[in-house]
Amino acid sequence: MDPILIKMALGGLAVLGCIGLFFGIGLALAAHKFAVEANPKVEEVLEILSGAQ
Amino acid sequence: MKILGRKYLLLNILLIICLFLIGGCKPEHRFVKKTAFKDTNKIVIEFAGPVDETWAKNRSNYTACEKPDPDIRLKIIDVSLSADKKKATLVFADDLNKNQPHVVTATKISSEGKSLGTAILNVKKFYLGYLFSILIGAMIINNFVFTKYLGLCVFFGVSQKKSTAVGMGITFTLVIVASAMMSWFIYQFVLQPYRLDFLQIVVFIGLVSLSVQAVDTILRKVNPLLFKAFGVYLVLVIANCIIIAVPLILADNEYNAWESLMLSLGAGLGFLIALFLMSSVRERLELANVPPTYRGLPIAFVLAGLFALSFLGFSGMSIF
Repeated sequence: MDPILIKMALGGLAVLGCIGLFFGIGLALAAHKFAVEANPKVEEVLEILSGAQ
Repeated sequence: MKILGRKYLLLNILLIICLFLIGGCKPEHRFVKKTAFKDTNKIVIEFAGPVDETWAKNRSNYTACEKPDPDIRLKIIDVSLSADKKKATLVFADDLNKNQPHVVTATKISSEGKSLGTAILNVKKFYLGYLFSILIGAMIINNFVFTKYLGLCVFFGVSQKKSTAVGMGITFTLVIVASAMMSWFIYQFVLQPYRLDFLQIVVFIGLVSLSVQAVDTILRKVNPLLFKAFGVYLVLVIANCIIIAVPLILADNEYNAWESLMLSLGAGLGFLIALFLMSSVRERLELANVPPTYRGLPIAFVLAGLFALSFLGFSGMSIF
């Protein structure tokens, strides 16, 4: 195959991987920083309820 | 509280300055700095360095056309070069229609004996009226819902009550502006330089879901009341096709930062207008005596058709 195409494909993989990683870390940090402390009892009560609906 | 307010203000100012910086520099070709209209029948191309006089003075090295009609070549009668050899002025036989973006192709730019490849340049008029016409165009004249029939599932889903319709419209406007600006940035500065334009749909979808997720996370903490008001609509935004259509249009038309902002804002506000109109009529419809077979969605489709017909009255209008 044409080496230019291979270069383009690998470059694309690297670039898009970097973008994905960057935004993924950004989202994770945001989720950490803006974490909402939920009452654990809510979860427990929901667990006990029958939960058909 | 006061300190927090000042912090937000500073952040906003910083963002606007960034937008100015980005808006100013959109590289078309690495050797071309600027293109602009001049007088009634001239286009000026500013190069980054001196070009060869023999190349620049040769009329057959340039072709020009209006963007919508690539088949109709505009006749160039003269090319002049400034004293420092950095500015070429193309003189056309007829007056140019400055409302249309023009495409100028400069083949095999030659500078100091080296060939620098072919540049395809977009020449556009830049002024506030043009931006405003993009905004109004996306909002009313080419309303995405009523003239392009995009985003209909969400449109029919949330237009039953006025309050939910307005909530959805505002959420949608916020998210579409954020995601369109991000897509524009990634397209101009990452996808195009690396020649990955063919991946644009995949990347844009990722960016849309990213911005929705980010707004969701941040809003949940910063303003729980607003978050509760938005409720399920925030997630529904991802399922709307207008939000993916706008970045694709931006990429296709090579818009710059300000034009992208205006188009995305117009699309969002247009959706808000459509939702508001539809919901106010559907609220009244609850009281009307509709035949049983037409009740619910069928009559809503008929209504949407009537709205589309009336919006057709705006078609072909141009401002400025």
